[in-house]
Amino acid sequence: MDTCIEKIRAIGADLLAKGTVEKVIGFANGSIPMATRPVALTSEKDMDKLVFNSVCGLNLANYVSKNSLSKKEGKIAVVAKGCDARNLVTHIVENQISRDQIYIIGVPCTGMVDKRKIAALFEDEITGFEEDNDSLTVSSASKTETVKKADVLRHNCRVCTHRNPPVYDVMAGEPVEEQTLDQPYEDVDQIAAMDPDARWTYFEKLTENCIRCYACRNACPLCYCPTCFVDESGPQWVGKGQNETDVTTFHFLRAFHCAGRCTDCGACVEACPMGINVRDFTRKLNKDALELFGWEAGLDLDKRPPLDVYSPNDPNDFIK
Amino acid sequence: MMGNLLEQMGVDRDRIHFSWISSAEATKFVDVVKEISDKVRALGPNKKFVKDYNK
Amino acid sequence: MNFITIDKKDWTRGIDQSRNAYRVYGPVKDENGCQIKPLAPDTHPEMDAAVTVMSAKSVLFPQTEKILTATLDELKDDHHVMKPVETDDMPRVVLGIRPYDAKAVQLVKLNFDNPDYQDPYWCAAYDATTFVGLGVTHPGPCDFSTAVGSGPFSEDGLDVLMADMDDKYLTKILTEKGEKWAAACGFDTVADPKESQVLFDVLRKEAEKQIQTNVATDKLAGKTILDLYDAPFWDEVAFSCINCGTCTFVCPTCWCFDIQDETRHNTAVRFRNWDTCMSPLFTHHASGHNPRVTKVQRVRQRFMHKLKYFLDKYDQGIMCVGCGRCVASCPVNIDIREVCNRMNDYETTK
Repeated sequence: MDTCIEKIRAIGADLLAKGTVEKVIGFANGSIPMATRPVALTSEKDMDKLVFNSVCGLNLANYVSKNSLSKKEGKIAVVAKGCDARNLVTHIVENQISRDQIYIIGVPCTGMVDKRKIAALFEDEITGFEEDNDSLTVSSASKTETVKKADVLRHNCRVCTHRNPPVYDVMAGEPVEEQTLDQPYEDVDQIAAMDPDARWTYFEKLTENCIRCYACRNACPLCYCPTCFVDESGPQWVGKGQNETDVTTFHFLRAFHCAGRCTDCGACVEACPMGINVRDFTRKLNKDALELFGWEAGLDLDKRPPLDVYSPNDPNDFIK
Repeated sequence: MMGNLLEQMGVDRDRIHFSWISSAEATKFVDVVKEISDKVRALGPNKKFVKDYNK
Repeated sequence: MNFITIDKKDWTRGIDQSRNAYRVYGPVKDENGCQIKPLAPDTHPEMDAAVTVMSAKSVLFPQTEKILTATLDELKDDHHVMKPVETDDMPRVVLGIRPYDAKAVQLVKLNFDNPDYQDPYWCAAYDATTFVGLGVTHPGPCDFSTAVGSGPFSEDGLDVLMADMDDKYLTKILTEKGEKWAAACGFDTVADPKESQVLFDVLRKEAEKQIQTNVATDKLAGKTILDLYDAPFWDEVAFSCINCGTCTFVCPTCWCFDIQDETRHNTAVRFRNWDTCMSPLFTHHASGHNPRVTKVQRVRQRFMHKLKYFLDKYDQGIMCVGCGRCVASCPVNIDIREVCNRMNDYETTK
């Protein structure tokens, strides 16, 4: 893909030089193969540190919620792909930031790669990763492989229908074509087709390796509660250990707190050290939001999410 | 949506009930509670989302 | 110190033979990576597994451990009296542990087994465990164990060290525990000590050459705590941190825990769970005050503990064995090697 990185750097430099923004939040190169790291830069001379490629899998909107910003901060520019920009819209709608506090550098995105899928092609650890448009060259001590990006895309990117930021201050490249999908929620339907006990076993197995690190929660831009429900102690709602009921409760409830707000950016799965696909919880809710309320999060600055607003047409045949 | 997600996870949908009851609708409250208790009891003991301290 | 060779064709037979004397733990691969897990009677360790995501720490120090229980039934004589839970005292063996993980156990031991205080749960588990290490012939890109006092063929903390020689394991028995284990497996093919040691030395040098990263720790001891604490780079280091617990949980030398009581009906149980200094709750006082309420304070504290406070207190090097797990698993790629070098190189301008 055209990574737009030159344009991103130029835009960033210009914004900082003119004093339009105090800080540019973007991605920089990581210290190991297939890694990038979020970075906040304040000098136009540092714009060369910014990168944008197929391993920029986290959501930078996570760094601009109310409790992430100090009160004295001025305007901040954020490099935002489609999903990131949608989360910035959600932040504005939910009063975490005001529209004029951020400058959205929109980046049209053709998807991020699934690092685990790539790692699974090798018996040993990966020592090199290079990207050239849609061709990825990955190497380890024992071999080098060339893979097509399309073959190793993350699942959320494969079913993404909002690759272009819906709201932005400037676009760093030409919009890319949006995908149309016949069955975007096939994964949700597959689970729904199982019988109840099989489904319960599926979800138990899904979270059996969870170490309650909360990387998923902390990487999620929606999770900005000053005190998360799992950290409450008066009363304590959920146990902190590895008991599977506590683990399931955490994931179920966190997903529910994101109901109607999740943009399926995949940062949760990207952050998880155990590779747990926690999106199995949130995607069911996303599907319902779409089918019951015609709603997709973060597309419109002027619309409030369905669980925020009462309308007489809301589906209510489940209520006695 | 909560009921749907729980159902997706394999929890019996008939164990989850929703109702709008005002504090002025005491009779309705009693009726709904009776109805739900009977329905759920008929489903037998629930094994999901129950914390097992013997493990 | 004696040497044996273990024919790989004989390996599974030996492991199975030892099962009546040992609970066997070893690396297994699942779709999410490699973990060290207790091995069911029909499973065997996958000795060629790449570095495990989690360390072997949970063999001695499980993430959730039931430590006491009590009945709340006031009709019973012993109600509200907390009693120890039944523990599994059977000796256990961890197969294929990497040398840096064994050294990490020795560092953690400084905390759980010292003249002032001995943690009964950890110590009982440690006494029951035999560590059978496998030398790392191809250290990965995140391995920097040689820079911090360990190495791909380090013997520190191991009872047995094995080297993979294609069709067999060349094995060095280091302790009495190691001898007992080898005997329990029926591994008794003696190898020539001189030749074997030479081979080990060659393998060690070959493996150490492959470690690319240079992490410098020589100047850390000479700096004052306050100089490092007040250094200007912490804001930059901490920016991307999301304060999850990943680094602390994958780290073999992190030892913090939290104790909680839970009750249900007439049973009370006291649990010990891993805790993480990355969590804002970690230093949240009952008064409501939190001395490390900001992210930067917590990130700084973690690196100061690992690379300075521990170094000063125990004089055994830094609290890191160079396994690289935090580097590999950190969602935002905060790299302890970079931070360590930064701290080591930092000079105040005064």
